[in-house]
Amino acid sequence: MGKESKDLGTSGEDAACQHLKNIGYKIIERNFRSQQGEIDIIAKDGEFLVFIEVKNYSFRSYGSPLGAVRKSKKQSIIHAAQTYLYKNNIKNTNCRFDVLTIYRNHSGDAHIEYIKDAFYVN
Amino acid sequence: MLIKLKSSALSGLEGYLVEVEVDSVKGLPGQSIVGLPDAAVRESRDRVKFAIVNSGFEFPPGYFTINLAPGDVRKEGPMYDLSIAVGMLSSSGQIKADRLNDYIFLGELALNGEVRGIAGVLPICFSAKQVGIKKVVVSVKNADEAALVQGMDIIPVKDLKETSDFLNGIKNIPPHVIDIKSLFNRVNEYEFDFNDVKGQQHAKRALEIAAAGSHNIIMVGPPGSGKTMLAKRLPSILPPLSLDEALEVTKLYSVTGLLNGKSALITSRPFRSPHHTTSNIGIIGGGRMPRPGEVSLAHHGILFLDEFPEFEREVLEVLRQPLEDAKVTVSRALASITYPAEFMLVAAMNPCPCGNYMDPVKPCICHSYKLQRYLGKLSRPLLDRIDLHIEVPRLKKEELSSQPDGEPSKEIKRRVCAARTIQEERFKGKNTHSNSRMTPKQVREFCKLENEAENILKAAILHLNMSGRSYDRILKVSRTIADLDSSETIEAKHIAEAIQYRTLDVKGGEYHV
Repeated sequence: MGKESKDLGTSGEDAACQHLKNIGYKIIERNFRSQQGEIDIIAKDGEFLVFIEVKNYSFRSYGSPLGAVRKSKKQSIIHAAQTYLYKNNIKNTNCRFDVLTIYRNHSGDAHIEYIKDAFYVN
Repeated sequence: MLIKLKSSALSGLEGYLVEVEVDSVKGLPGQSIVGLPDAAVRESRDRVKFAIVNSGFEFPPGYFTINLAPGDVRKEGPMYDLSIAVGMLSSSGQIKADRLNDYIFLGELALNGEVRGIAGVLPICFSAKQVGIKKVVVSVKNADEAALVQGMDIIPVKDLKETSDFLNGIKNIPPHVIDIKSLFNRVNEYEFDFNDVKGQQHAKRALEIAAAGSHNIIMVGPPGSGKTMLAKRLPSILPPLSLDEALEVTKLYSVTGLLNGKSALITSRPFRSPHHTTSNIGIIGGGRMPRPGEVSLAHHGILFLDEFPEFEREVLEVLRQPLEDAKVTVSRALASITYPAEFMLVAAMNPCPCGNYMDPVKPCICHSYKLQRYLGKLSRPLLDRIDLHIEVPRLKKEELSSQPDGEPSKEIKRRVCAARTIQEERFKGKNTHSNSRMTPKQVREFCKLENEAENILKAAILHLNMSGRSYDRILKVSRTIADLDSSETIEAKHIAEAIQYRTLDVKGGEYHV
């Protein structure tokens, strides 16, 4: 991963956190890693524990950002989520997988799209 | 919260209850369906999700397990969608659970929440009634069909929202009722009438006998002589179905999913005419979970096989058993299912591949081996089971240019019905419905011959080299001819007419005029 794209990722996640705070979520953890996967943001939305995948898109990217969370990526997020629940001994809590996409146009303005309940365990 | 609802599955023409159990735990979101679901059942997950969301409900969070009990029987088809959706909404408190247990839920869901019709509602409702269930929730599209079962509350629903309003007591849906009598007494209009057919008096007479006794018949004639035309007019002279027969036929069509869009009750006798490339499975029925084939779809009606020798040999031979037993048992690894197949076989064929064999005008150009192969398709055991063999010769020039002046179907039908009434009296309280289905014992009882008739039959056996089965068939046909004549006993003229309908018996199936 080049430095440029890593910076883009970090700044995207910062923007995402800000957006989530604005809509009333409580950020619990960022960049949680397990052996097989990573979760960008873990937040609390009321009673829900939300696992959020942040996707950055510049104007150079092709295609729709929604299609970018593919099966293997899903599996790694799910695995990381299971690890997180197990490590922190969280039971009896409803969880959700959300996807947040940030799209930047030519002038650098960010457009955020937030998809709740983006996918399931199976 | 654990929710239990009832739905139903089909095994042949029998429905059996399936208990749908829905429960959820808090945790990572997801669903799994257990209880041997097939692909269509497993896909219901996605349909249910969108149906729930698009109906304005909240999709319940948590991990759902949906169990379809009994767990050792394979569940097929999309009919569990409605019960699964209601179960999930009920489990999350969006639908009241107190009345769920009274109902059976049957329906497929569209993504917009609409409840779609499913196949097999009629047999399912019949079976449900037998196990004491009184109320059924079905799609409006299946409502008429389900209401054919009397003494049940049929609740027709348009979509998932309406179902929930009904169960929550917000909306009252009165049980759907139809007037079976008026549905059944509808007069069937036939597209074709016998008075369109020019000449062919001999063939018409034979078809009348066939219709009167439900006898199998084969017509042999050159192309264009009117075999297909005659066969297509046969339904117009058949006696009407009784209500029980109509329900039986409707059940078969319901299971096959052929009822859609048509009337809820089939009131005219089926006329099936499969193409000669049809496989033996297509004729008999089959599949992983065996479905009815053409012989069953022709139950209480006509199976018309045009270009008879063009069918695969094995296709023709599989007809033998259902012709004899009036039912077929199809066994597969998953299930062994018996479907009724009491049909009347009407076959049509050319005398040779080119069609002109024995024609007085046009010469036949077939090689003898080709001819042999063509006629070899007609095995002796098969011909034995066909009661009437008739020739449909080419029309003469003067007949061709004449106006059609035959008897209208209505007249012929009147005589056929009279003959059937005599048969109904005769077989009252027995399993037999028509002369052609008499058991050997009944043949001895009801087909007593006069002396003269006996002598004619004896002479015919000597000369025509008949098998025991074709002997019985002759007696049955002569019984029908006597019935058409309103004659108590079988006279010489009746037996003589019956014998002349066995032309293909001569010389072991080799065609001979």
